[in-house]
Amino acid sequence: MPDIGVISSTVVAGVLLGGMLALTALGLSIVLGVMRLVNLAHGVFLVVGAYAGLFFLQFTGIDPLIGLPVVALVVGLLAVPLYRFLLAPLAERGAEAQMMTMFAVAIILENAFVLGFSADTRSIARDYATVPLTLGPVTVPLIYLIGFAISVALILAVHWLISATAFGRDLRASAVDAQAAATLGVDVKKVQMLTFALGAACAGVGGTLIGAAFQFSPSSGGAYLLNSLAVVVLGGLGNVLGTLAGGVALGALQSLGGLTLGDGYRDLAGMALFLLVLALRPDGFLARGRT
Amino acid sequence: MKTRHSRTLTATSMLTAAALALGIHAAAADEILIGASLPLSGPLAGFGSFQQWGYKRAVDEVNKAGGIAIDGKKQQVKLVIRDDKTDPNATAANTETLISRDKVVAMLGSCTPALVNAGALVAERAKKPMVTGCDPLEAFKSVRKWSYVWDLFFHEPQLAAVQFKAMTDLNAATNKKIAIWHDNGPDGQVVGGKIWPALAKEFGYEVVQNAEFPVDNTQFTSIIGEAKSKGAEVVLVDAITPQAIAIRKQMAAAGYTPKVLNMEKGAEPVQFAEALGKLADGVLVGGYWDPSFPYPGAADLAKAFESETKLTSSQHIADSYAAAQILLDAIAAAGSTDPEKINSAIRDTNKTYVVGPVQFDQNHTAKLPVVSLQWQGGKTVVVWPKDAKTGNFLFPIP
Repeated sequence: MPDIGVISSTVVAGVLLGGMLALTALGLSIVLGVMRLVNLAHGVFLVVGAYAGLFFLQFTGIDPLIGLPVVALVVGLLAVPLYRFLLAPLAERGAEAQMMTMFAVAIILENAFVLGFSADTRSIARDYATVPLTLGPVTVPLIYLIGFAISVALILAVHWLISATAFGRDLRASAVDAQAAATLGVDVKKVQMLTFALGAACAGVGGTLIGAAFQFSPSSGGAYLLNSLAVVVLGGLGNVLGTLAGGVALGALQSLGGLTLGDGYRDLAGMALFLLVLALRPDGFLARGRT
Repeated sequence: MKTRHSRTLTATSMLTAAALALGIHAAAADEILIGASLPLSGPLAGFGSFQQWGYKRAVDEVNKAGGIAIDGKKQQVKLVIRDDKTDPNATAANTETLISRDKVVAMLGSCTPALVNAGALVAERAKKPMVTGCDPLEAFKSVRKWSYVWDLFFHEPQLAAVQFKAMTDLNAATNKKIAIWHDNGPDGQVVGGKIWPALAKEFGYEVVQNAEFPVDNTQFTSIIGEAKSKGAEVVLVDAITPQAIAIRKQMAAAGYTPKVLNMEKGAEPVQFAEALGKLADGVLVGGYWDPSFPYPGAADLAKAFESETKLTSSQHIADSYAAAQILLDAIAAAGSTDPEKINSAIRDTNKTYVVGPVQFDQNHTAKLPVVSLQWQGGKTVVVWPKDAKTGNFLFPIP
């Protein structure tokens, strides 16, 4: 039986890590909510964000956390032509065509990373990413706390954007009934394009945080896509605050699974919760509180 | 006539296009085709890129010298490489393709037991000779009694004992408490699950933790927390590079710094140190080659790699270069592309290569000498044994 320090540290670390998982899933959630598109390139967008953070640091010498707005802007802008030239023309052909298109984009980008940056495993080396934070019996990585704080701030900002602005009103209208929204004068295509870019920007920020906290390679996207899908199901489709709750729940449960069954079984615990929620509450934890 | 001609042309064009699309490599009449499936992408890409360079260099050298005489006529050697994406299924499929479609006369191996053995089984079934490195000998021998596949690499018990011997000889004072973390791959289970615990007992250490994890695991919080709480001052890890990087970062982030940290497999390629920066300093890894070794061409090989690629060399350039040289020497000795004759010539190998003297035993294995390497300032130095050392032992790790 692990001592109280190990148990408490693991649980707190899981909750903090869950915040970052929520951010990595946020983009997937809002794109799914508005466009009804399971963006299979979402994991690769995270990897784009990780490379963007790494190169931002290498070329400017400025800390990638300070450069997060730049990373978000770059990854968001990269998503615009993808929507404009690949997804928009397929809008009338159903979600499957768009989904398969993004699957192809994911494969192309992954191979492009290998060609351009090699298949090496990389990490954004910052001192704060390898410093422990100790409070009483609890010791957690400082980067987890930083990542959690940034993630919560960004998730709340997106929640405000969606619930309290004109763009958010159009976005929500498009999510509920795109045809009716268009009839009422909402430029649905523009809303979808901005939503897609916003989702990519969130993934980019999440990718930089992941790159600093962990390690990444061109093929890292798949694992994060799977985790993100689990968070979206737990939190509820398109539910921004639910995504945060889903991420925290998944992070905490994965950590407890790792503690009791061994670190190799973290994903097993997470996926068991995923299936349970899918069976009992298919609309997610906070289905009634959808924004 | 014209119609028949245009139909023939169209059919030929289509076949050519199909061949190009499928990546079929047709051998010219005066070419010797050899094949390799390598992990050029995926988690083991760090190894594959070095192997590719080693294989290509050996082939290029032979071609520059005029090629190999087959039935009295000099022929150039063509190396066909396919990416297995670090997937054993892809290695097996690539090997099948290289043998049945590309018509290679012999094969060079991939890297790590999972990949090498997957390809080796296909080559064995097709009765095509294969020379490989990068497959620890016990893991290689455990698969089957080989007839056409030959492996030169380190012997796990020998490599596993290196750090215990080094700690003893270098007077590394610790509380003798060891934590062992290993992946559940074939060599991870052998080294971490069996050999290290037995050696720890033999050298008077207490194993306070032995944790196994999946090869692609990314979170190690619980394992690290337990080792820290049990006060292990020596940590032995057997994991591939992405996991080794993750473990080292998460150890630092958890505030856990043992006095000795050894990371087999994962700490071998230079990308380990590039990803970790100063966190790599002090990490030990068993080694089977260093440019300082007193074998012909050792220093030149590393210099050639570094001047061509502008990257720091790795020991994987040496075993791959030697494996290719052994195969090419065997083809030359056979004077034929007949698989049986090449296989027989490989069996007769008895020569000192860049990795040391190579002679295969009845299990088709050749043991390479081993040393203890330590990362210091982005490069590895040999810290043990004393007669091979190129730097002082950094202890405890910073």
